[in-house]
Parts: sequence; structure tokens; C-alpha cells
Amino acid sequence: MHFTRRRGTIAFFITLGACLVALAIALNVGWVILNWRKIVPLVLGIFFFGILIAGVVLNTIFLVREIRRNERHDSFLNAVTHELKTPIASIRLYLETLQRRDLSEEKRQEFYRIMLDDSDRLLATVEQVLKAGEVGQRSLDDVSIRVDMKMMVEECISVVALRNHLPPEALKFFNETANTPTVVLGNPEDLRAAVMNVLDNAVKYSPKGPQVRVHICVEHDAWVVLRVTDNGIGISNVHLKRIFKRFYRVPSMAVLRAKGTGLGLFLVRTIARQHGGDASAASEGEGRGATITLKLPRLLQP
Amino acid sequence: MSDKASNTSTPETPGNKAAGRILIVEDEAHLAQGLLFNLQAEGHQVTVAGDGESALDWLLEKREPFDAVLLDVMLPGIDGFAVAHAMREAQNYTPVLMLTARGRPEDVLEGFAAGTDDYLQKPFELSILLARLKGLLRRTQWLRQPSVLEQPKGKQDESADVYIFADKTIDFSLLELRAGDKHIRLTLMETDLLRHLVSNPGRAISRSEILEQVWHLHEDTDTRAIDNFIVRLRRYLEDDPAHPVHLQTVRGVGYRFVPEIEVDK
Repeated sequence: MHFTRRRGTIAFFITLGACLVALAIALNVGWVILNWRKIVPLVLGIFFFGILIAGVVLNTIFLVREIRRNERHDSFLNAVTHELKTPIASIRLYLETLQRRDLSEEKRQEFYRIMLDDSDRLLATVEQVLKAGEVGQRSLDDVSIRVDMKMMVEECISVVALRNHLPPEALKFFNETANTPTVVLGNPEDLRAAVMNVLDNAVKYSPKGPQVRVHICVEHDAWVVLRVTDNGIGISNVHLKRIFKRFYRVPSMAVLRAKGTGLGLFLVRTIARQHGGDASAASEGEGRGATITLKLPRLLQP
Repeated sequence: MSDKASNTSTPETPGNKAAGRILIVEDEAHLAQGLLFNLQAEGHQVTVAGDGESALDWLLEKREPFDAVLLDVMLPGIDGFAVAHAMREAQNYTPVLMLTARGRPEDVLEGFAAGTDDYLQKPFELSILLARLKGLLRRTQWLRQPSVLEQPKGKQDESADVYIFADKTIDFSLLELRAGDKHIRLTLMETDLLRHLVSNPGRAISRSEILEQVWHLHEDTDTRAIDNFIVRLRRYLEDDPAHPVHLQTVRGVGYRFVPEIEVDK
């Protein structure tokens, strides 16, 4: 319901902008017809009408952008509220159940496991939100040490597999560096957060049993490149660029089924760029998996 | 998730008097599982639906006779509001208890406007959830007992909790509006609002008064949700909802209830 109301606002402003531009053009044409013999008013008229039209167009674009940004912000608040409250609600429910009822030891253990999962989820959300606030403000010089990406990626893979209770064949690691060192100068915490986010996404958006392939290689001697390919829900062409925006989530059923804050890939790109690299996404379309590429400058003399 | 989208279970301890058939609509597997466990332990027969589509499938396609629905708002695809709305639209009046993470008054009102009977904010206390649910089930039981349904009709003017105006009867205990041979079921929230309106006939009632005195919401709320509510009530009460005579808008203030149509002299 909120959705249609906002769509309505955007449509209204676009229509208003278009009408104003049309009116200005009509007036401009009228002016030209009335003054076509007098050169000075003609030139001045065309000039000022041009400014007016450009102003209206710019204003409309600005408004639509602001409305979109507001929309994203709102859906972010919704998502974070949900992501924070749901695990708390769940933990609380299980604690009260443990307190209230006589349970078998087996049930008890199951409930403990569920509560641990929920507290992990809660922590992950909190960390992501804090990180997103932090990353925007910090410059790279704060903490900058040598980080071996190969080792870090391998470590992250095992953590993700463990957290999601996945068999080892679900996350395959391909080392294509031919023993070239993969050392990057940077903040290890941030780099780990970026890699974890990419891996987490690959698992999260592959609802039918993830088959994730992680390739690491060195390109042109200057770049350490990490490619994470999944067999998940994929990304349609229109959204490939937008998914790196802060708070952006693809508005499709398949995406909304998996919960998230819309911060993950924003963090990945921001961190990559702070380290002098970049992040990009590729997909053959919806339902056909996706590849996220993380490119970082290699330290040449380790 | 999809394989778990719906599963029905029978109670382990039958014989509980207040037990009923309950549909849980919740996409968070952990919460759904915890609720399922607790409601079963209370002796209820519980079905879990993982999203709005399968909930509507149970309610409107398979027409399972549930006694109450626990409805999460934030569902993928069809959300909780839309599920409640679709239920009421299809004249399914199973009591709905809405569970919402974002407990803003606007959301609560939107839920009431969609036709839910009660709401609980997440995280909730288990005992409160169970108590609220018991309340809803009790109501279902009253409504299902034919003896209660029949009795007040004979002597409805004296003892029953009814209000009669024009050719319409509001029955507050049965949560029903009767107009001619039409019987319209009302939700608890609609009944509360109607009771407030008809007990102040002719007086202009502001939107904030409705918020505070009827629904006990105190914050600054987007009062447009009330307007949606009134639109719905007009559909029940008015012969021509576009030109209301009983539920009039008082410009700049709120609404006024006028029991009798004023005849031009």
C-alpha cells in the first residue's frame, strides 16, 4: 500500500515536470513566432527559455532521485527493524519455552542450537550496520598492514561453510595464482568483512542448495582478483549496477525471501574502492546464478 | 523453505477445552517452529504456512475451518495486511492476531483497517500471546454456539447489546451488523469504533479522539488510516457509500454519526 502511494508521488512529479517543460517549449515557440523579425529579443528569449527548461528538467530529476533515496532509506529501516527484532523475538520465545515447559534433553539441545543461530544472526546484522557507518568515515591510512588474500579467503570459506552447516563440496576453492603472492595492503578487518559479505550473499541467494565456486587469481601482475560464482537466483540486467548502492535491494520475490539490510554489497564496493580496487557483478539473468568480482591492487614488493 | 511451507500436525494432548485449529503464517522458520511447539503443547491443532500465498491457499482454496490465525506482517510476496484483506474480502471472518516487528501506530491501524482483530508487537511475551489467542478462540466459540445466536433475536430490544437505527441493527455481542436480511460480520476494532460513534450521536468526533479513546494509541499518527476505516464502515452502513448520511465527514475535525436521516420539511 505504501508502495503504490510512493509510486504515485514519483509519477506525479514526472508528469508535472513534463507538463512544465511542454508549457515552456510552447511559450518559447510562441515567442519565436512573435519576435522572429527582431534579433535581440529572439536570442534573449531562446536563451532564457532554454535556462528555464533546463532548470525544470534538473529539478524534476533531483526530486525523483530524492524520492527514490527516501524510499530506499525507508525500506532499510524496515529491514533493519525486522532483522533486529526477529532474532530477539525468536530467542525470547525459546527462552520462555525452556522456562515454562518440561522438555526432553534432545528438545533442549535443539532449542539451544536455534538460539545460538539467532544470536549469530543478530550479531551479523549489528556488525554490518556498524561497519557501514564506520567505513564511510575512515580513510585507509588508519590501519594498513599486509594481508594475504589467499589465506584470508580460505579461512572465510570455512567459516561460512560452518555457519550455514554446509558440506565441503558446496563451497569450492580454486587457487589459480600459480604461487604468485596475493598480498594486499589494507585493513584486514574491512577486507575480511568484504569477502565474508560476498560469500554470505552467494550462499544466501542460492536457496536450492548452494554450489559456490571461489576463484582467486592474479591479473597483469598488479591485481588480486576474487571471483565468487553461485548457482542462485541471479540478477536481472537492470539491477546489476544498482545492487551496490546503499540500502538497495532488488524488489523481486526471490530476493525478499532471503532477509537482508541492503548494506552488504555497498560495503563490499566501498571497502574495495578504499583499497584502490573495485567490485562488480555479472549474471546471465534471473535464476541463472551470479558472479561477484572483487579486484584489489596487489602489493608488488612484499 | 519451500518443503516446509506447510505442515499440519495433530495435538499431542487432546481434550483441552479451549483448544482450536490455528494457522500460523510466519516466514521465519525459527519463530514458526517455536510457536508451533508452544501451541501444540497447549493442545491446539496447528498448521504452519510459510508465506502469504500458502496461507490464502489454506484459508480460501482449501477452506480449512481454522479457529484463529496468527499472522506475521512482513512476509515475502503477499504481506500480512494483504492476507487479512483478502480473507475479509472473501468473507472469511476467522479472528486474526497480527504479529508485527515495526509497531508504529500507522502499521497497527493499517492492520486494523485490513480487518485484523488484534495485534502484538515482536518481540512478544509468550504468556501474553497465549492469553490473546485464548481471547480470540473464546470469541469464535461464542459465535459458533447456535443457542447464543438464536436467543437474543427474540428479545433483542431489552437485554442484548444491540443498537438499532434506521433499518439497521448493530449487535455488539455478536459483532454483527444486520441490515434487512444482510448480515455483516464486524471485526473487534470495527465494533469498538462503531460503539464509540453511536454512543455519541450527532457530536463531531475528532480523529485523534478515535485514536486515543477507541484504540488507545497515543502517538502522533498518520490519521489517514482512520479514513480508510471509515470508508469501510460506510460500505456497511450506508445505502449509498459515496453520499453518506449516517457517517458524515466534519471538515477539519473528523466524523459525526447521525442515526436518523433528516427529512426535508
